[in-house]
Amino acid sequence: MKEQTPGFRVSFLKSAVLSNPVLVQMVGLCPAVAATTNVRSAVLISAALCLDLIVTCVLASALMKRIPRAVRVALYLGIGLALICPLLYFIETYTLMNLGLSTKVYLPLLAVNAVTALHCEKVAVKNPVRTAFSDAAAVGLGASLVFLIIGTLREVLGSGAFAGIDLDLPISLKGLSLPFGCFILLGFLAAALQAFSPYLRQAQTREPDAAQPQPAQADVQDDLWSDILEAEAVSNERLAALDEFTERLIGGEEDAQ
Amino acid sequence: MPDSATKRTEGAQKPYVTALQLFGDYLLMLLVPTALAVYYYGTRVLAVAGVSVGVAVLTEAICSAVLGRSYYLRDLTSIYTGLCIALMLPAGVPFYVPALAAAFAVAAVKMPLGGSGAPIMPAAAGFAFVAVCFRTEVFTYALRAEQKLLGAQSLGALLGGGNAMRLNAANLLDVLGGNVAGPMGTGCGLLMLACGVYLLMRRPRALLATAGFLGACMLWAAILPRSNGGVLTNIVLELCSGSLLFASIFLVTDHATLPAARVHRVIYGVLCGVLCMAMRRSGVFEEPVCFAIVLGNALRPVLESILPGGERTQRKEARA
Repeated sequence: MKEQTPGFRVSFLKSAVLSNPVLVQMVGLCPAVAATTNVRSAVLISAALCLDLIVTCVLASALMKRIPRAVRVALYLGIGLALICPLLYFIETYTLMNLGLSTKVYLPLLAVNAVTALHCEKVAVKNPVRTAFSDAAAVGLGASLVFLIIGTLREVLGSGAFAGIDLDLPISLKGLSLPFGCFILLGFLAAALQAFSPYLRQAQTREPDAAQPQPAQADVQDDLWSDILEAEAVSNERLAALDEFTERLIGGEEDAQ
Repeated sequence: MPDSATKRTEGAQKPYVTALQLFGDYLLMLLVPTALAVYYYGTRVLAVAGVSVGVAVLTEAICSAVLGRSYYLRDLTSIYTGLCIALMLPAGVPFYVPALAAAFAVAAVKMPLGGSGAPIMPAAAGFAFVAVCFRTEVFTYALRAEQKLLGAQSLGALLGGGNAMRLNAANLLDVLGGNVAGPMGTGCGLLMLACGVYLLMRRPRALLATAGFLGACMLWAAILPRSNGGVLTNIVLELCSGSLLFASIFLVTDHATLPAARVHRVIYGVLCGVLCMAMRRSGVFEEPVCFAIVLGNALRPVLESILPGGERTQRKEARA
């Protein structure tokens, strides 16, 4: 019997949005904070991350299933470096693009980012190439989307420009170009995603092909989902405890009055 | 009863203090430096304060509506935050600076971190944000500079430049009375002393942090002076420059950021004081007290857990 694989739309919704690597899993924060000070850097970092993620995941799925785990992780880094260092050389030599210092530093460091190692280990080596590719593409797009939003906001609000074009804004908040500004923006984006995630989950359950995902892929998604649900449960417990504490205080004060 | 009202045990006679009582006291104290600022800088002070308070109140109302929480103006915390921010800014500051500071304090610090019980002091964070974003506007004191002791040069800039200054009876009165260029509501040392006395009568335990803070600052100023004056001159200049005294009364004593134990409060104050003086000595900002307080707020849980009587020590004792 031919196995049914989840559609790309479902995979994208889960891996890129509901389990967004940057906003939900909080991995890949280093390039997001340090190297997305403008749109051009964000595009470059996004492209490099997608390339690294897709190629490494596909190779891991196709060739590395029988290799011991300790060796596999080193191989992911080797593949990443083999991809990104020539890319950086090509960009600097042939396009004459003036990369910022932070981009020059963090672009090669993408090879050792946690997103690639995490998804290679959790998804790629347990699934066929097609699933590994779709997961890597979805995760890469999800992270890239966040990088682009953050890069745009930081450049427009922090420098009063977009892609190097001066917008002549009357006020620019220089603090947003600094790392703390990026963390604040990431916090707001994560909160917005959390607020909209119930609607997205509803939309996901209405998908016709979401019913029968491939077993291994389902396990992986369940792992991610269980992490999220567990975090939500802990958060709800804390909120309930806080409410109880507040009620007790209010009750205590009313008694005192 | 506001749901965000905060109560703290304050001695045996008063088991709880509501947010209204707490911030009512603080607002009462803040009215005095505001009046003095109007005397020194004219009615523009009221416009700056109005913008800051108005934006803080409006931002909190909007955030409460978005988050589905009830909003009570009588909570007074947003008014307190707005007024604190305004008084730490120069009188001639463009109106968008206090507006952005107040909006940031409420929308990015106070509301996401738990409302009036936020573990980071919103006013300090708001000021720190605009200090980073609009450094020139925040540290330029040009309005009515001709009437001041040193013209447009503030005491902070004077100390930062390592200049020599000797205080005689006449200019000591100017310095202590706030007749030097600086933030519009924080320069008058005598007034801050009066506020401290009022706070001592109302909330004596909160002043433990103030004592630690000022003690550390004074000791630092005596040991590592920034000007060529005597020890007393250095201490007076350091305390009266920028917003240090104001912060010691209004920011360090914030109910939500203070540790519970008395010793911890003193040590927390010392930590904030040391951070502030270290940043004054080697930092890039003329007045880094708000950065020091935000950093102190962030380090408070660590401090509480590692000090004797803290969580970690209690766990060890329980295990033993």
